[in-house]
Parts: sequence; structure tokens; C-alpha cells
Amino acid sequence: MKELHELNLPEDVRYSQDHEWARRENGRMRIGIDDYAQDQLGEIVYVELPRTGEVFSKGAEFGTVESVKAVSELFMPVGGKVTAVNTALADSPELVNQSPYGEGWMLEVEVTDPADYDSLMTKADYLKQLKAEA
Amino acid sequence: MSPPAQTPLYPWHIENNAHMGTFGGYSMPLWYPAGARKEHLSVITSAGLFDTSHMSVIRLSGPGAFDLLQYCFSKDLWVAKGPDRTKLPPGKCAYGVFLDEHGGVLDDAIVYVLSPEQYLVVVNAGMGRIICEHLQRQQSGRHVTIADHTNHLAKLDLQGPQSARVLTRILDQPLVVLETFPYFSFKGSITDAPAAIQTVRLIDGTPILLSRTGYTGEFGFELFVPLAAVEGLWQDLLKPDGDPGVIPCGLAARDSLRAGAMLPLSHQDIGPWPFQNNPWRFALPWASDQKTFTKSFLGSAALVAAEVDSYTQAFVGFDLRKIDVTQARVLNAADQEMGTVLTCVTDMAIDRHGDRVYSIASPDKPAGFAPKGLCCGFVKLREPFKTGEIVVLADQRRRLNVMITDDIRPHRTARMPMERML
Repeated sequence: MKELHELNLPEDVRYSQDHEWARRENGRMRIGIDDYAQDQLGEIVYVELPRTGEVFSKGAEFGTVESVKAVSELFMPVGGKVTAVNTALADSPELVNQSPYGEGWMLEVEVTDPADYDSLMTKADYLKQLKAEA
Repeated sequence: MSPPAQTPLYPWHIENNAHMGTFGGYSMPLWYPAGARKEHLSVITSAGLFDTSHMSVIRLSGPGAFDLLQYCFSKDLWVAKGPDRTKLPPGKCAYGVFLDEHGGVLDDAIVYVLSPEQYLVVVNAGMGRIICEHLQRQQSGRHVTIADHTNHLAKLDLQGPQSARVLTRILDQPLVVLETFPYFSFKGSITDAPAAIQTVRLIDGTPILLSRTGYTGEFGFELFVPLAAVEGLWQDLLKPDGDPGVIPCGLAARDSLRAGAMLPLSHQDIGPWPFQNNPWRFALPWASDQKTFTKSFLGSAALVAAEVDSYTQAFVGFDLRKIDVTQARVLNAADQEMGTVLTCVTDMAIDRHGDRVYSIASPDKPAGFAPKGLCCGFVKLREPFKTGEIVVLADQRRRLNVMITDDIRPHRTARMPMERML
């Protein structure tokens, strides 16, 4: 298990309470789970994602991530329409462990309300939440 | 709630970045940085090492010990009856269960015969005091000393086809020790070894009890060692330049290995309901008619009299996806609720090809076989299903088709003859 100071928490994403991240990219939003979540889950063996075109509100369940330990829900950090899913995860779910903010991304969405992003936590705020949980 | 207990290896687990979780009242490694998948596979193809010091060890001694176990433990310790009747001899062990008067399971156990008046009973984590008290309540005048030895020794499980070769690195006179060593037998003792038991020592002279048992379905050993020796032994076994090599394994791999090997987890697959109509008939003392018992024991009358209203059966799925057992129901083809799910894990060493399940250890596996894993485990049903029948496991999120089966991971190595493993 990683100690808090060992977590990879980049500054260019925002974090949700459920340990998802969102990053602005070319007018869209990329979404995935963060380093804390992947470390807690352990080896990810299966990722279940929605189809493009589906619309989810902020906080809605959009899929599941299955580790050796358990099946966990994935929740939208921002609301929007899915414009792309990371199809590489079907054959290589371990990318989520290896590169949670890079090759292990999950969705790209067209955001419904830009204010959703502003309500997410910065790295500093997120670290505070993790410390409070620990 | 008191904080979880720690085994003597707890500092090592933390130092080596194990992902920890609480099990049986102990803080235990669930997996190490290598990950549960690699740990699971290494036990099937090579060797893995588990810290199992959380398990409880009870010592029974005295002229009434045999009789008390005969009454409380489900296996018949008279291995031959009649005029030439013989007791299970020193150096042998037996797997069985302790039942209550209703035939429900208090815990499962392995009994080790040290001598006709001395026995070790290994039960599950946190169960030492409970089973000690149970045995004391049933003692009724028999001359037996019953003592919980859990905190006086440590235990490691070395499991996998390379285990015997690994032991040659750490044992004194390994070939003498390992030469003949049947499944479910043991040698050595961590106290003064009774005369009938061959001594086993580490290279530095430390006496250990070495048992050809385990909880993975694979060839291997359990090592009972003095507390002071366990950390050194653990590190010797895991030496990076050790040949053959061994990796540390956590409870996640232990759970997936045992489920694939059709072994029950006490308090989950067996518990406070009558111990019958399950895949573990071998834990009961069946007579040759397979209908009556060779002895009466605590709970046996209830088992005979109990109305059968549940059937525990194994299943194997069609891909690696699991279901949340706390919410899952079993449905038949007509969507009628048929029961509950006891265990659902993924055996990462198996997969389907055609109409068969193969393991990475299968000698006849298809070319290029690269298993992704299959979900598997046990269901408790209102009616029995036939092998090969399909049922649905459903939770609030998904529905999985799985097949009722009488075996899960093929080509396990637990019973391999010793001479092929050295």
C-alpha cells in the first residue's frame, strides 16, 4: 500500500470524492481513476465501460472496475455525453494500474455543465481529504 | 473493537509494501507488489510462501486426548477396526470438522498425531480460544490437558511444485527428511519430538514441524517454527538468489487458489448449518456403505436426522468476472431464486477452450494457452443441480451464467508422488 506521500497526484487534473479524476483536453474532458484508487483496488483484471453517445449526470455510475479483491463502481466526476472510451482497456486492464492518468484513461466526455469541473478538488484539497480518511 | 493482531512477520510485510487487510482478527498481507495474479500463478507453476501464523494451534495431551477427539472431531481416528484395530499413527494428519449438537460447523481443522496421547489441532484464525473452550466443555472427566499454543509458534506455508526443491536449501539433511513423505503426513516437532517422529531441523539446528499439507491444492508443505526463528527462515526462503526461487504470497492468492482447488473457507462455505450435501464428504467418517458412519460423534446424530434443505455445490464461470457475494442470488433458467453465493473468486490460472477447462499446469493444454481466469466458487442451493447445468448469479449490477461442476482447476499437484518433486 502506498503512503500518502508516495501517491502520484498530478496538478493538471481535478479529483472527485470517489477517487476519479477529470482533465480538460481540447475542449473535452478525460476521465479515469486516480493513483490512490488503483493502489487500493490492487491488480485490475476487468473494466466495464459505457458506449459512446451515452449521457451521464455528475455522480452517476458509468461502469465498473474489477480487481482481484472486488468489483467497484465508477462514478462520473463531471456530467456529460461520452465521446470516446479507451478500448485498449478491454485487453489490457492493467494499464489502469500502470498509468492511471495516461494510457489507463477511461472516458472522454462532452461536458454538460463546465461548473462541474470547478467543483472538483485540486491536488491540495484532495490530499486533505485523503489525510482525513486515513 | 480492539486493533487487529499482528503476526511476527508484520514488520516485514509493512517494510515490503504489502497491501494489508484484516482477516480473522489479524492484520494480514492481501498481496505484495508483485500482485495477486502473479502470486497465484507462481504457486501453480513454481513456489510461493505464505505467512499463516494467524492460524490457531491447540495442543491436547493426556490419556483421554484420543477419546475426546474421537467424540468431537468428525474423522474416525481408528483407522482400522476389529480385533486388529489401529489408531491413526504418529506422523499422520487428518482433515475434519468440529460440529455442534445440531450438526453445524464450529470450525474445520487438521489434527496432527504426535503420539497416542499427544495431538496438535490447527484451526482457523481467531478460533483457538473458542475451540479450546468447546473441547473443555466436552471433556467430562477425560484426562486431557487442552492448551492454546497459537502465540507460542509461527507457521509458514510453502506451496507449489518446486517446494521440495526449495526446502533442500534450508533443511539439515534434506534428502533424508524428504525421501518418503506422503500427502497428509508430517515429521519433526518444535518441542521435544516424541520417539516415533523423525526429527526435522533447519541448517542452523532449529527444530521444526514439517507437514505435507496446505490450502492451495498444490504440492507443498506447512512449516511450524519457533517464534524466534520465523523471520530468519522467511528471509532465507525468499533470498533473491535462491534457486529455485520463491515469492511471498498474500491472502488474496490463498483465497483464489483454495477455491479453484475445491477447498472450503470455514465460516463462509461451511458454517452454522448441517454439514451435509456438500463437496467435502471426505471430512466425515463414512462406512463402506457410504450411508452410515463408522463412529458416533458430537453432531453425528443431528446429521443423520436432519432434513436436507440445502445443497452446497461448486461452480465455474465462462469468463473472469465476479459477483458481489453479499448481494448475490442464484437463479435458475426460469429466473426463480434457488439459493445464495458462498464464495465467488477468479482462478487466474484457468480458462475454457472448447468445452473444457484447462489450467496453465495442464499437460494437454492447447498451444498458446494464455488464461485470463474464470470465476468460480460455491453456491448453496435449495435443490441439487446436475454437473454441467447452468445457473445465473445475479447481483444488483450484473447477471453471470455459471456452470455447476464437481471440480474446478484441473491438474493440481497436491498429491503428486514425492519422487517426482525432488
